[in-house]
Amino acid sequence: MSSVQLLPVLLQLERQPGSLREQVEAAVGAHGTPLRWAITAVQHRPEQPPLLQIEAVVLNGAVAEAADA
Amino acid sequence: MISTAPALPTLLVIPTGIGCAVGGYAGDALPAARLLAAASGCLITHPNVMNGAALYWSDPRIHYVEGSSLDRFAAGELLLQPVRQQRVGLLLDAGMEPELRQRHLQVADGCRATLGLEIGPVVITDRPLEVSLSLGASGVSWGQLGQPEALLRAGRQLKAAGATAIAVVARFPDDPDSEALAAYRQGSGVDALAGAEAVISHLLSRELGLPCAHAPALSPLPLDPDLDPRAAGEELGFTFLPCVLVGLSRAPDLLPAAKLPVVGGASAPAIGIDALGAVIAPAGALGGAAVLACAERGIPVIAVDNPCLLEVSAEALRLEVIAASSYSEAAGLVLALREGIAPAALRRPLPPLRLQS
Repeated sequence: MSSVQLLPVLLQLERQPGSLREQVEAAVGAHGTPLRWAITAVQHRPEQPPLLQIEAVVLNGAVAEAADA
Repeated sequence: MISTAPALPTLLVIPTGIGCAVGGYAGDALPAARLLAAASGCLITHPNVMNGAALYWSDPRIHYVEGSSLDRFAAGELLLQPVRQQRVGLLLDAGMEPELRQRHLQVADGCRATLGLEIGPVVITDRPLEVSLSLGASGVSWGQLGQPEALLRAGRQLKAAGATAIAVVARFPDDPDSEALAAYRQGSGVDALAGAEAVISHLLSRELGLPCAHAPALSPLPLDPDLDPRAAGEELGFTFLPCVLVGLSRAPDLLPAAKLPVVGGASAPAIGIDALGAVIAPAGALGGAAVLACAERGIPVIAVDNPCLLEVSAEALRLEVIAASSYSEAAGLVLALREGIAPAALRRPLPPLRLQS
């Protein structure tokens, strides 16, 4: 079995002040190395911060060689 | 009109697999990209915009950059260094049947003989990649790869053998009778293959630091008399590979931003995020990494009315954008920015200035 895995992730995130991109990347990054993500829905709620739906694919496990980019 | 103003590097993003009316099919955003390249003089965009299977358009003003590298460019992590030609390594999935593999080798040979592209070496993965398709909660196309390490091993082998860019051909599952495929071919569905394709090229490009793009290998489909013209590009032949080889053949090198760009010689200077003058994206799909990174840097965002599955709008994200009803209008706005004309001056009513309180 491959030690590197790609995993789908579905998250909900309450938006906070500050960089939205950094908030999403931190939330996705808690599940693995973000490979691809997007905010796919935004729910506005009275007197509460908007709730973002995020879909992502993350990389889990150690890649055998270091990235050379 | 021909602009004499310096080029305005412009980023065009049309996310893959979200069913965009323009750009959700087989390279059907290419006319828009050509127009925007003419308006800006320098367009940076990604394979989903440019790939029309056997159809393609090569324009030195258009820079072909895979999606995860675009995200890193927008975040200021990468520079794009234009090149004369890449040496495109071909990575074939061991899951392909011998005849399908032979067809792809012949496509590569055709691109060498007819277009003069430098292609090779060719490597086959040491085990099938096991691509699977899926839809996310929103209906957006995602996908999976059962053997990501096999992909990376083959990619490293190509890089070690001198490839400066990598075209991947992976065996995708055939599902000729599915309702989703029928809807896509008739112009009302999502490209189910797109998500898995993006995952493959993102993984490889991220780990190897090379331009990468992907073409799916599939059995030819039976004739559909109701085929939508936007999907027709994928029905011309046995493979989707020619557009990928052409796109990668002049894709810019990806330089870590900390590295100084190459100066002198015949190369054009590297393009960094600081040079970007505008980003263009569908008005309902503004929640991706590249668009958010640009918006947070204060780069003008042109939000184009291009219906798709998502409703992640400027209003929903509280972003300031310039609205455009079509890519033709977006091209006019890009030309205005390039010429130093404030877009607001082109609209009516023009509200009077107010004193700041």
